[in-house]
Amino acid sequence: MDFAIEDSPEQEAFRKEVKDWLQENIPPGIEHSVDPKDMTYEQYQIRRELGRRLGKKGWLYPTMPTQYGGADLPAEKTIILYDEIAKTGLALPPYYDAGGRMAAPTILVWGTEEHKNRFLPPICRGEVRTWQLLTEPGAGSDLAGIKTTAVRDGDAYVVNGQKVYVGSSHGADYSWAIVVTDPKGQRHKNLSWLMIPMNLPGITVVPMDLLATGGEGGSGSGVKNSVFFDNVRVPVEYLVGGENNGWKVATTHLEAEHGGMGRLADRRVIYEFIDYCKERRDGAAIIDDPAARAELVDLYIESEITRLFALRNHWLSHTGQPRSYEGSQYSLRRKLSGLDISEKMLRIAGPQVLTKDERCGPLKGMVEYFVRDAITSLHPGATTDIQRVIIARRMGVGRAEREQAGALR
Amino acid sequence: MDLSLDQTQQLIQESTRDFVRGACSRDALVKLDKDPAGISASLWPKIAELGWMGMAIPEEYGGTGNALTDVAVLYEELGVGPVPGPHFSSGVLCARLLLEAASEAQKKKLLPELASGERVFALAATESHYGWMPEHVRMTASKDGSGYKLTGRKVFVHDAMYATDLLVLVRTDEGITLVRVDARAAGVTTRALDGFLTSLAEVSFDKVGVSAADVIGKPGGAWDALQLAMLASAPVLCAYKVGGCKAVFEMSLQYSKDRLQFGQPIGRFQRVQDHIIHIVNYLDAARWTTYEALWKLDTKQDAASSVHMAKSVSSEGYLRACDFGHEVHAGIGVSREYGLTLHTKMSRSLYHCLGAPKEHRKLMEKVLGLLP
Repeated sequence: MDFAIEDSPEQEAFRKEVKDWLQENIPPGIEHSVDPKDMTYEQYQIRRELGRRLGKKGWLYPTMPTQYGGADLPAEKTIILYDEIAKTGLALPPYYDAGGRMAAPTILVWGTEEHKNRFLPPICRGEVRTWQLLTEPGAGSDLAGIKTTAVRDGDAYVVNGQKVYVGSSHGADYSWAIVVTDPKGQRHKNLSWLMIPMNLPGITVVPMDLLATGGEGGSGSGVKNSVFFDNVRVPVEYLVGGENNGWKVATTHLEAEHGGMGRLADRRVIYEFIDYCKERRDGAAIIDDPAARAELVDLYIESEITRLFALRNHWLSHTGQPRSYEGSQYSLRRKLSGLDISEKMLRIAGPQVLTKDERCGPLKGMVEYFVRDAITSLHPGATTDIQRVIIARRMGVGRAEREQAGALR
Repeated sequence: MDLSLDQTQQLIQESTRDFVRGACSRDALVKLDKDPAGISASLWPKIAELGWMGMAIPEEYGGTGNALTDVAVLYEELGVGPVPGPHFSSGVLCARLLLEAASEAQKKKLLPELASGERVFALAATESHYGWMPEHVRMTASKDGSGYKLTGRKVFVHDAMYATDLLVLVRTDEGITLVRVDARAAGVTTRALDGFLTSLAEVSFDKVGVSAADVIGKPGGAWDALQLAMLASAPVLCAYKVGGCKAVFEMSLQYSKDRLQFGQPIGRFQRVQDHIIHIVNYLDAARWTTYEALWKLDTKQDAASSVHMAKSVSSEGYLRACDFGHEVHAGIGVSREYGLTLHTKMSRSLYHCLGAPKEHRKLMEKVLGLLP
């Protein structure tokens, strides 16, 4: 076995190539806000510029095929790329983009050649940013119970309804949605997967006021929105995977969203918190207390296990290994250990972790955001309970057959 | 990065699986568990013949010089049994300890016979004030000519009942010293402990003479050697626990399909599903912390933090996986015929071996720079 992210001379050369490229191409003036909500429009634009540069190189979504704007990068190199970008304090993609992370692999599996040529290159080149529209006020865990309709009318689907917990700050060019195309049809056989240009008339975006934005890793999204559709006409050729076949199509991106892709966890907050606890302030340090030391070790172990699960999934998905329960297992672990770590931080360091006040709180609010976000992170990409349901089905608990994982690239 | 097993490891895995399925089926192990002679009469010659006792020993001393990860793959499959016996005590822990501590002449004399299975070693380290820190070594040995005389008692010694040779940790004028004692020598009494445990014994020493040739390495230098031996051995023991978790997982999964209540397989109930999810989570946490630690050791990286973590995570994980296995199995689980209790008992017996989770977490404080 080899757990190292770098070893051979060829990989070393690639790491240098990435490092040099990033040094040359990361636009000047990037600032990091602890809470993605505080990212200004200017900062967002700088990240989009970096996205376009990465996209031109095929590195924005590096595992995608070259012909659609990726770089067909093997696992070894992808991991190096993720790793080097993480070292700059950014993630890949450097801004929230559900289009590349989840829609692109889905289109690759289900789209026609025309769909692939139409949608994938702009996503992979970073020219567009895409949101996903799944949850509705009346349909969260029970996603198949959505109500937003898309009724065929000539050369268009007419969309009506409301989606919630959508996207990010600063808008999007496209969204993709699960919609009801056969209102009288049987459950699971009445849905379709639709790409929607966000500049169509009849779309209204209203920000939601949430504790934090949570998410399944990567770049934070900032705000989440409600999106209202009022007789929005979407061209029929924007439907991917066949009419009323949307539930099957959705299994592919849900696989990605349920953690199947595996991400290399950013554990900066863990390391910085541990260092903060070692620091001596007014003659005293948190680690003077033996109970705090013991809890810091527990916290570290918690985060290490999460890291290893992520690493395993990353390896599984990027080497095309068969997967079953691992995606949801990682997601469940990430959610629960995040919550557990946040409680440990509170116990170890006291009420200091609840403030972003620079004088009274640690690490410029980084810990305050972590403990807030840990709670919000429990629901995106499926609740902990739904993750457990998926794990049990995939393992075949109480069933003769194991449920298969959705296809993923 | 490649988390798969290489070809050698796949071969080891397959052949060990065949062995466990054949000679160590659940029924065979249940029977063995009730046999007062234990593993020695029936299984040991087969295990020795397969060359497993020499895997962690370099070729120059009669072994096959395998990487620790290779050895761990073997132990993961033995843990599935769980196959009891002195294989770990002798073939890994004592083998590593002799490699770290013994003189060249001692290595040349003892290791080939350990590798062939003719000699079976057990480590007599712990005492009634139980623990794996230097302060827990209290038994003294007095100077006797060029050697020592041993009087005292070691408890919770793993596999002593199977041993031909004991490596005993004692305090001498020079410090903590390791000596070899013939397990059948006059004055040595080994008593297997009865109860909810597997292969643990009390060993008493009554004026047992140790010649200078049987002092292993330098008098007073044993503790450092033991630390190195434990660092390399612990993850192999962890792999055995990974195998144990795997077996409990597979048993529980199968039972969730086979057992019908309220007209359906019990695995259809989400409460039951949750138990099995706990088990797989403990299994995978133990697996990946263990194999990362082994990889660090095999590639000569600083592995201390990873080893402490793996030992802590796998000891707790195996114990809790068994507990959740019992929640799934209910009544049948506590029937000794069924076989789940072999794991439950093993998970308790090995919980403290080479240091309990609490001790390893304490050691991590130092490694992480948390001591003020």
